[in-house]
Amino acid sequence: MASIPIPAPETAPVESRGTRIGPVVIAFVIGTAVSIGLGVYGRLHTPSGYAVNIAGFSNGPAAKAFLATIVMILVIVQTVTAMGIYGRIPLRGAWVSPLHRWSGRLAVLISVPVAVHCLYALGFQAYDGRVITHSIFGCFLYGAFVFKMLILTRDDSPGWVLPLAGGLVLSGLTALWVTAVAYFFFV
Amino acid sequence: MKHRSPLITLAAVAAAFAIMFIVNMSVSPPGSGSSDTANPSAAPATVAATSPAESTQNSAASPSLSPSKSVEDSKFPSKIVYAGRAEDGAGAVAVAVLGTNAAAYFCDGRSVESWFRGTVRGVDLKLKSKDGATLQASLNGDHLKGLVRINNERVRFDIDEAKQPAGLYRARGSKTTIGWIVLEDGSEVGVQTTGETSTPAPELNPESPQVTVDGENFDAAPVNGDEDL
Repeated sequence: MASIPIPAPETAPVESRGTRIGPVVIAFVIGTAVSIGLGVYGRLHTPSGYAVNIAGFSNGPAAKAFLATIVMILVIVQTVTAMGIYGRIPLRGAWVSPLHRWSGRLAVLISVPVAVHCLYALGFQAYDGRVITHSIFGCFLYGAFVFKMLILTRDDSPGWVLPLAGGLVLSGLTALWVTAVAYFFFV
Repeated sequence: MKHRSPLITLAAVAAAFAIMFIVNMSVSPPGSGSSDTANPSAAPATVAATSPAESTQNSAASPSLSPSKSVEDSKFPSKIVYAGRAEDGAGAVAVAVLGTNAAAYFCDGRSVESWFRGTVRGVDLKLKSKDGATLQASLNGDHLKGLVRINNERVRFDIDEAKQPAGLYRARGSKTTIGWIVLEDGSEVGVQTTGETSTPAPELNPESPQVTVDGENFDAAPVNGDEDL
């Protein structure tokens, strides 16, 4: 994993003079393109029906459910720390921002094997409501993630943009978790 | 001011995606090892589940299905056949399950057919044909709901258990293969293929499943989930 060359600001970006919407639009377009690209790939390639098993688990779905649950927990950590950074809850300290960043990095990295399995072995499917919802949000999530990462590279976005991007990621992951893991364990 | 660390994160994630894809693409299909190595206990069970060969029409559920991981994974009865018409009258679908193996057949009764093989995982079935068509289905109560993708078309189905003599039949000769889906109401949908040419199948009497095509006699047999198609 890469080191962090430049720490992100410890305080919430203040809505300030000279915000620019142009880069936000570009980031949004790129994120959208990523989502659409994933969807098109998932739809057009023939699902292989198999993929590498992640060692140590009884089977593929269990491994995916376990990893996805870790990701979900990390994303909840993300939400709580973000609320702290933005002063919505009394959570302060030098550790909050690093925890936010590293939980995010870990979450997205852990999500990759799960997503690749979905995309490579199963593809974008639409044979019932749960499955199409899951497929759509799977593509959506990584587009939202790309959008958020691109937003983070700049300080001059309007103040509402970053929370929106984070909220999109959270919503996407929640929808994915509910339509797959909750289904796997409880239905 | 600009920050580079999110871009590094992004690049790391893209690289992780690429690596996982390459790893996945280099893996051989199930059965030849890789996916089983992580779960060695499943391997003997799979062998046991596939061993009962060409069983006769009324053989009961395979006796060698010992309690094992791979059988627990299946939410299907250990031996069952589903059959029915596809939605929109696009043809018929039959799916045979034995243990964790599944075989299936889709045909339109005129000129399109495909044989599928695959495995069961929980309530889900994923099958592929040699020519790249796919069949995916999930157990929904006691019926099977899914989708066939063939020749860039999608055919949906929602089918029930087919009790003998309904079910899936297949006959194989030197050059010709015939498949029949016999439905609960006694109607049949079938296609025969010789070389590249597919035509409607001759009528099959499931009680005495012999047919003659171009002077060649065929014995049709019910297809089980572990059939090598």
